[in-house]
Amino acid sequence: MSGVDVDRIAVEPQSDDITVEPSPPEVAPVEERRTVPGLRTAGSMLGAFVVFGLLLLASGADPIEGYRAMWNSITRDANSFGDVLVRLTPYLLAALAVVVPARAGLFNVGGEGQLLIGAVGAMAAANALGQAVPRVPTLILMALAAMIAASLWVGLSAWLRHATGTNETISTLLSNYLAALILGWLVFGRWKDPGATGFPQTRLLTDAERLPMLWGRVHLGIVVALAAAVTIWAVLRWTPWGFKLGVLGGNPEAARRAGFHSSRLAASALMVGGALAGLGGMLQITGVEGQLRPAVMSGYGFTGVLAAWMVRQHPLRAIASAALLAAIAVGGNGLKIRSGLSSASVNILMALLLLAVLGWGRRLDRKAT
Amino acid sequence: MIEAILIGAVGGGTSMVFAAVGETVTERSGVINLGVEGSMLCGALAAYAVGIETGSPWIGVVAGLLAGLALSLLHAFMVLTRKANQIATGLAITFLGLGATALFGQSYVSQGVVPLPDYAVPGLADIPFVGPIFFDHDPLTYLSFAVAPAAWWFLFRTGTGLRIRAAGERPDVLSTMGTSPDRVRWIAVAIGGGLAGVGGAQLATAFARTWSEDMVAGRGFIAVALVIFAGWNPMVAVAGAYLFSGAVVFQLELQARGSGISIFVLDAIPYLVVLIVLAALSGRRRHAAPESLDKVFDAGGVPA
Repeated sequence: MSGVDVDRIAVEPQSDDITVEPSPPEVAPVEERRTVPGLRTAGSMLGAFVVFGLLLLASGADPIEGYRAMWNSITRDANSFGDVLVRLTPYLLAALAVVVPARAGLFNVGGEGQLLIGAVGAMAAANALGQAVPRVPTLILMALAAMIAASLWVGLSAWLRHATGTNETISTLLSNYLAALILGWLVFGRWKDPGATGFPQTRLLTDAERLPMLWGRVHLGIVVALAAAVTIWAVLRWTPWGFKLGVLGGNPEAARRAGFHSSRLAASALMVGGALAGLGGMLQITGVEGQLRPAVMSGYGFTGVLAAWMVRQHPLRAIASAALLAAIAVGGNGLKIRSGLSSASVNILMALLLLAVLGWGRRLDRKAT
Repeated sequence: MIEAILIGAVGGGTSMVFAAVGETVTERSGVINLGVEGSMLCGALAAYAVGIETGSPWIGVVAGLLAGLALSLLHAFMVLTRKANQIATGLAITFLGLGATALFGQSYVSQGVVPLPDYAVPGLADIPFVGPIFFDHDPLTYLSFAVAPAAWWFLFRTGTGLRIRAAGERPDVLSTMGTSPDRVRWIAVAIGGGLAGVGGAQLATAFARTWSEDMVAGRGFIAVALVIFAGWNPMVAVAGAYLFSGAVVFQLELQARGSGISIFVLDAIPYLVVLIVLAALSGRRRHAAPESLDKVFDAGGVPA
């Protein structure tokens, strides 16, 4: 981007060009990509790391030291690796919340708000149960409440789309701000813990309302998230519903002629997506936070969008992209501690990785547009 | 109270006026840029930082314009040259702007800047009611009064404007006439990014007069919504920006008067206003959308 490499590219094929090399030049472009699956993508992603390093350098930080700090903070011990798994959980579910509607040709950019509404739903269920129920049913009911709340929340966008034709990208985007305000209203108001002197936060969840730990800080949520990814993959692949979503996304006219109830299908895709994000919100507060705070899970929903797009909405591959972004986010904390840089700096790296994949990754989907 | 709300609506709406008018030009060419949020952030930080380093807020504003422009050119390169998905690219660009301003802006947090001063227009500012609302602001706000009519004139009365609209409606016709739609779109995206950068500059150097991480706080996304709300008409987009910022000031005013309603309910008013008006108008507005813009939203991306 800085133009430094222009001469080198002219002299010898560098970076992503090199990935094309192994295949003979006379092969058609599409075939070419198939002979080196992923290599081109990997090369372009490497480029993202290089550009981020250059930006760190430009900001006056030592990029080698920065990357070392990031690496150390995810590989120091079992706990730091566990932190990646813990962060992967909400990222993956937020990514799946994008994946399912995308199959029907819809953009859900409201994951941010759906995570929060899920967390609010879980908290409401916990409050309603009043510690009268044993742990397992409590947690199941909290998860259900979270999924229903978030699903109804995005259902509003689906309804607006159906009734007025309001674009769901815009309405889900705006609904993020409303969700944050609802959370604020509760946390500063009726749910505010009178015991916490002045701090805007809810009561702490009791042990019976919190997820069991697997080891260290790693909670059961990671298993749930991975199971959700596999389930969504299977459902999209093998059920009639998944097939119909694919038809609607691939060719809305064909879906209409086949007699599919398009707007009901679209709504179901958005609402299943919302439910997944809501579950992510529940897992995060019952597994990590233990209470609601105003800025909880800030940025997680948007990171989920990045994760989904990095793998072109493939539910299983989203595990890998969410893991990569989780590692970068956890590494960002190391960057903050060791190099004193804002932990939001790693957003650059996340964005560059997505841009690398969007611009230089495999592009089978691009023929259509 | 009405006068206070309208004064606040104009001053606070300026940054969104620039962004929404710019995005109107961009979308008219058939490109949607959700990166305007990032362009505004970069514009805000660049204007603030350069303003501090040079001591001149005006050089800062130019830097803000260039920063917003630079980020939008990356969007143009990604979606036009590399054919990347527009929505995903725009969000990534905003993320990039968020991270880059966090990285480079850290040392400027809570530093003082020489602000763009308010400048009352002699004579006009003394007109009762109208004067304080329109003629007692910072210079960029005065400039913003001209930007929507200028954009309207540019889009509907110049050759380049015609080509931009053609790129948005019938790119094939434009190609037949020997003009590359993508070349026209580059120009439209650059105009949008530059204006968003100026909007960010106004926010940091004239309105808030401070820099903090993520200070744009969704104004860029709101601007994108306003473009649809306005049916891709720059003049209506301005009205939308003032409606939004007016709603913001209205709820602040209610809070100041101790209305007894939760501030979070009041804070939601501006977003609800935009969402409700958007929903109410969407049915009619859809036909106003540039034709090739519709295709952007179709590309859900079905995995292999």
